[in-house]
Amino acid sequence: MANIIEIKNITKEFKVLNRREGLIGSFKDLFSRNYKTVRAVDNISMTVGQGEIVGYLGPNGAGKSTTIKMMTGVLEPTSGEILVGGNVPYKNRTKNAQEIGVVFGQRSQLWWALPLIESFKILRDIYQIPEQNYKSMLELYQSLVDIEPLLHKPVRQMSLGQRTLSDILAAFLHDPKIVFLDEPTIGLDVSMKSKIRTLIHALNKEKNTTVILTTHDMGDVDALCRRIVIIDKGKMLYDNDIEHLKGFFGSYRTLKIRVDGDLKEQSGVIQGELPDMKVSADDEWISVLVDEDKAKVIDVLGQIQKSRSVRDMKLEEISTEEVIRKIYEEGVK
Amino acid sequence: MKLKKYLTLTRAGIIEALQFRLSAFIMVVGNLSYLIVIYFLWKAIYASSGTDIVNGMTFNDTLIYLVLATALFGFMEMYTVWEMGRAIQSGKVVLDLIKPMDIRRYLFWCYSGNFVVNFFFTFLPTFIAVCIITNGAVPVGLNLVYFAVSVVMAILINYSIDFFTGTICVYTESIWGVNIMKQVIVLLLSGATIPLAFFPDGLRTVVEKLPFASIYNAPLTLLLDSSPNSDTLLETLGMQFIWCVSMTMISRLFWKVSLRKITVNGG
Repeated sequence: MANIIEIKNITKEFKVLNRREGLIGSFKDLFSRNYKTVRAVDNISMTVGQGEIVGYLGPNGAGKSTTIKMMTGVLEPTSGEILVGGNVPYKNRTKNAQEIGVVFGQRSQLWWALPLIESFKILRDIYQIPEQNYKSMLELYQSLVDIEPLLHKPVRQMSLGQRTLSDILAAFLHDPKIVFLDEPTIGLDVSMKSKIRTLIHALNKEKNTTVILTTHDMGDVDALCRRIVIIDKGKMLYDNDIEHLKGFFGSYRTLKIRVDGDLKEQSGVIQGELPDMKVSADDEWISVLVDEDKAKVIDVLGQIQKSRSVRDMKLEEISTEEVIRKIYEEGVK
Repeated sequence: MKLKKYLTLTRAGIIEALQFRLSAFIMVVGNLSYLIVIYFLWKAIYASSGTDIVNGMTFNDTLIYLVLATALFGFMEMYTVWEMGRAIQSGKVVLDLIKPMDIRRYLFWCYSGNFVVNFFFTFLPTFIAVCIITNGAVPVGLNLVYFAVSVVMAILINYSIDFFTGTICVYTESIWGVNIMKQVIVLLLSGATIPLAFFPDGLRTVVEKLPFASIYNAPLTLLLDSSPNSDTLLETLGMQFIWCVSMTMISRLFWKVSLRKITVNGG
């Protein structure tokens, strides 16, 4: 698998004016040369192969958008090397533009006042898409989603979901090698989210397009990405398969049980019996966090059952969301 | 194929402009009220001067000039500064930068549809109306050809100035003041609000050499002159050409330098 994106030790620093407080401070700021340097992206390296879908995650302000902007050529890295489809993006911005598609969830590249089909025609002409490719792309779109009613609707009259869907279709229209999707499902309802995930998945399969997806919705990640990259404060925290991620903090599962008597009280007793595990209780369940490397869930259950009868039980896998939250909050040890 | 890339934007611009019928209508009303103000203002100026000819222009000459200048303004004004300022402020400029087209050209062609619409909806009707009302005061002949050539260059110069001013927004991060300043300077020094003939001699010689005069004064002078001598013609068009080339280069260069600020410092 050829690498379509190669990033080596890129760092991006911004100079930010130190603003002072209050009216007098604001006046002083007019003449201030007091800058501080903020490192938005700090020594990140990765390679992405053609056809991969990579989930690019990190808390707000982690440097995700900055990295994406560097890959699209809008920002120039302070140091390090970056190659996208063989081009240095910020040097060959126009050439790079031909090879990439971009959707920023909060912004639309479509022509606001015109029906969608007009935007498609404009894109066809400015990206110089050959007529037969354009036609077959529209046919592909039609087979994936029902675009016919959207095509003749002015973009400004569309719902957010329809607009996002249209923006994604527009980004794929010139059959780019890579598509960057920056929070494509933000603010959408569940049904639209699932529609968009299916669409992205299908387009990736059909066209072997590399997709770089940033999102805060773990549903997107679970549905689409096999590989995820996590950054925080500009530093790379994790770059591996999603399966690895779940074992990242040990293989935890949560055993939930219900027993007779007061749950709070009982959970204290159980905690005493199982000093190695974390036991807690809410109104309905007693939760026991089991590290499967140390003990089997079934043994733990057996132990609990020795001295009391368990009325009900369920087992919860740790979700991607929880793991990611743990990484965001605690970092990688 | 190459040209299609740009003409598609013109086409879209025309469709887009035609969507906003009400706004076109209001613009006509606005222009009309401006013309009424001009009429009474200059009537008063001529009445108080006591002569029929001021600075070599009769009341009718002045009025025809200013009406056509207003029509030309409606046709040539691009609002590029607003567009760029807003794009830079909101960050939408990122989307424009990743189009497979130079942004200066892209914005020009995106707007070009409005030229077509405004030409047919404001300039042409006004021009015809002026021709009919003044009954032959506006010559119709070869001057129309010179005018057409001159207008094309005027548009390019005007765009370069707009683009240049818009680029300033990269540094100021605000649009309003910059835009007002540009508009006042251009409208005054180009002869769009006051014919250059009314400027004091010393100032006029300077202003005539500036690029602004090439935007409104040059095409209007060529339009209203039935038999220009070849020297004036060559000088006017030559001056426009020089400004056209140099302003294009200057605005390009300024953008290139300023773009570094966006790409290096995130804008």
